Amino acid sequence: MTDLNNRYNELMEIVGPEHIRTDDGDVEQYAVDGMTPNAVVFPKDTQQVSDVVTYANLKNLAIIPFGSGTKMALGHPPKRLDMVIGTSRLNSMVDVDTDNLTFTVEAGVKFRDIQARLATEEDRCYLPLEDLGTEAEAFICSDRSHSGCFMPLDPPFSASATIGGILASNSTGPRRLLYGLPRDILLGIRFVTPDGAIVGTGGKTVKNVSGYDISKLMIGSAGSLGILCEMTLRLLPLPERMETILVSFDSFKNTSTFVEAILDTQLLPAAVEVMNKRAFEGFKNNKSDLIPGRYAVAVALEAYEEAVDRMKLEMLDMAKDFEAEDSIVFSEDGHRLFWHSMGNLQNSMANRFPGMITAKLSYQISDWKNIIQFADDTLSSNHLEYTLLCHTGNGGCTINFLLDGDDTAASERAVSTIDLLLEQTCKANGNLVVQTAPTNLKKDLPLWGEPRFDSPVMGRIKNQLDPKGIMSSGRFVGGL
Amino acid sequence: MEKPELIVHLKEIVGSDHVLSSDMDLTLYSYDASLDRAKPDMVILPGSTEEVSKVVTLAYKEKIPLIGRGSGTNLTGGTIPIKGGIIIHFSRMNRILEIDIPNRTATVQPGVITLDLQNRVAELGFIYAPDPASQKVSTLGGNFGENSGGPHCLKYGVTTNHILGAEVVLDDGTVTWTGGKAQNNPGYDLTGLLVGSEGTLVIATKLILKLIRAPEAVKTMLAIYDTIEDGANTVSAIIAEGIIPATLEMMDNKVIQAVEASVHAGYPLDAAAVLIIELDGMSDGMDKKAEKISEICKRHHVREIRLAKTESERAKLWAGRKGAFGAVARLRPSYMCCDGTVPRTRLPEALAKVMEVSKKYDVPIGNVFHAGDGNLHPLIMFDERDEEEKERVLKAGSEILKICADLGGTISGEHGVGVEKLKETHFIFCERDLEFARQIKKAFDPMGLLNPGKMIPEPDNNHQNQGVLV
Repeated sequence: MTDLNNRYNELMEIVGPEHIRTDDGDVEQYAVDGMTPNAVVFPKDTQQVSDVVTYANLKNLAIIPFGSGTKMALGHPPKRLDMVIGTSRLNSMVDVDTDNLTFTVEAGVKFRDIQARLATEEDRCYLPLEDLGTEAEAFICSDRSHSGCFMPLDPPFSASATIGGILASNSTGPRRLLYGLPRDILLGIRFVTPDGAIVGTGGKTVKNVSGYDISKLMIGSAGSLGILCEMTLRLLPLPERMETILVSFDSFKNTSTFVEAILDTQLLPAAVEVMNKRAFEGFKNNKSDLIPGRYAVAVALEAYEEAVDRMKLEMLDMAKDFEAEDSIVFSEDGHRLFWHSMGNLQNSMANRFPGMITAKLSYQISDWKNIIQFADDTLSSNHLEYTLLCHTGNGGCTINFLLDGDDTAASERAVSTIDLLLEQTCKANGNLVVQTAPTNLKKDLPLWGEPRFDSPVMGRIKNQLDPKGIMSSGRFVGGL
Repeated sequence: MEKPELIVHLKEIVGSDHVLSSDMDLTLYSYDASLDRAKPDMVILPGSTEEVSKVVTLAYKEKIPLIGRGSGTNLTGGTIPIKGGIIIHFSRMNRILEIDIPNRTATVQPGVITLDLQNRVAELGFIYAPDPASQKVSTLGGNFGENSGGPHCLKYGVTTNHILGAEVVLDDGTVTWTGGKAQNNPGYDLTGLLVGSEGTLVIATKLILKLIRAPEAVKTMLAIYDTIEDGANTVSAIIAEGIIPATLEMMDNKVIQAVEASVHAGYPLDAAAVLIIELDGMSDGMDKKAEKISEICKRHHVREIRLAKTESERAKLWAGRKGAFGAVARLRPSYMCCDGTVPRTRLPEALAKVMEVSKKYDVPIGNVFHAGDGNLHPLIMFDERDEEEKERVLKAGSEILKICADLGGTISGEHGVGVEKLKETHFIFCERDLEFARQIKKAFDPMGLLNPGKMIPEPDNNHQNQGVLV
């Protein structure tokens, strides 16, 4: 116990006594898969993170970084956990360079605040500002002498997720079809290694081959190799026009023919998302009065005015050709709200279904139809309720298994279905990752999918960089 | 194992015709497009992944350095065997294994010439975007190793943004795969780490590349300027106005002179600078953007804007840019290309300072570069046989990289570190950054056999640089 008190003393000296929590009630909120840390510390800058981690390494304390907590259900339950490092005070927008189209920011800054900061003077923003509940008014109104930019990412939980968490979990959304993945947008990063060193790589230039591309290694590393502290990402000018067409179909055949027809053109939609009826109806704030079918297809159009107009016309014509039940168009505010709500589907469902399991499937692009049909058939025949969102053209699909947690039999059926889905994605050169699941089910689930050829290499890297295994102990792929 | 015995073993693996060890052969493999020279102990030309794996296994047991090599177009000495060893030349592993249009991928062996693949997929209405100026001779394996760029990277990104996966041979000869046809594989993005690792971590034997649909429309313009500042300011202004063209390439008067003497692209000989601006994508709205760009050019005192009306006019405008490096050889026998990169808004400043360096060291410098990316390519022209002049050139080159680093940029945008810029890594990294890179190297190659002596300098306690803050 004395040892524990000393421990706190030294940490208090680093971050200040008011920025460390050790009371049971406080630390419980930072439990990871039911494992409660002894302390939660909130360093104010990269140097303090370095000092805290150096100390943890010295004392062999197991640590886990924590942003807004939206991704904490990812991965295996930790093998051990002594201390959580909260990133909420790493909240500085270090360098907003809209002329250069780059943005340097600390890890704890919320994604919505970044987008708000980049809005035009008329409040034209990539996200629906009025629905964000943005805390920092200052970000919205200060210093916006530019014509409007945005950070081209559309991760789920866009109202609460931090940029650090988004990158650490390689979180992506439907519009990656046009804008790419976090790996295409991150230019530079500063992080603290498991032994407490501050390491920087990359920078403000859009091209950089002056050393290993460490940024790529850190994206999606889920806190297993270090704590991301500061990052530089590229920006894009706000699209001249933003519209969505939403089309409903009753048969999967017509749905897929419509989608394939779009993907086969030289048109450049930002996203072509297929969803089942349950998903479509599940959006919070879904104000559309579309006549629903079994499936809906949402196409995001973000481009020059003329290009949006043409895409809209051509796609609506196609929809008619393929016997759409109904179609509807949203522009600007409606568009922003629609995609924002879609991103929050997992969130809103989790509130209603405490036993929910979310699985993210990946596969080669052309297999999307097989995967959806297989998922639909298998889940329906197992009497499971689910939402399905498929990023066509990207080879990704997210399924929320709507489980209340009390129905053990249903949860068991969901678990066995996930094994089947995994098998199917592997056949399509892909894999499956469980994004969230109740802790008690985790031991039965393929949380990181099927181990791949490169697992031993990942082990070599982890062991080299974190030989004591203090960083997010045991949570990553293969129990690293 | 003695060399003659080793050669016998290697001949058993790859066939006796595919092991080269005569003095002339070794001399031929002692250089690339950089200024560095060193002879390997032998060269092998494997025909398959299995053969590469066996050679690597043998080298691992015998602790012999291995250097992968494509066409040798590297500009920083990345393929120079400075510690001797075996060069693995991929010229025989040059097959396009599969073009999978439904999945938008191509799978190739590393020895495939970049342009050969691009021509093949173009017939199908697709592009493989990274287009280094050396694409006619460079290999995709080399592009992978160096994370090559090119004029169209402004919009499409560099090689790493277009590689989905790779079959690689590890230090001990194990064959493994990273990434694959599907994106978002669980675990570390090893493919992302390996692209641009200059052959120091693994040896790639197959690559899965991303194909994208060819754009519906392309519009190419040439803007002609009386001062280089006006050209550079136009570049920043276009980006700041919210337009991201597919390319923004610039050439200064020295390069224009050289280009006109060799490829006759039709650039005016008295222009201080020309800017190639290309828009691509859907045709709708493109005219309006072109007009907007013309306005911006006029605001920055453009002398003349020419619009390519036909494909052959477009090809002619590009011929000048693509042939620029070769053309400057007419002015002086050798050149050194500095690949320093700055945040694009700092471009005018960087160019002015480069010209000061030219005066200070009394060396002619021509500029041909990816302006939209802030990626400079000052070509310092000289005669390699003149040792005193070469000394001045090396100093000037290093100073230019320091200028770029100090402007918040970096020492290489697309050519890599190799051996040429080892010293300059200290301009942007501090010891602990480099130590992290050494740890990565150790995780993959603990014995230090894969392309040794490249990319990461030996530990040096004299450098107290704090590194760049991101």
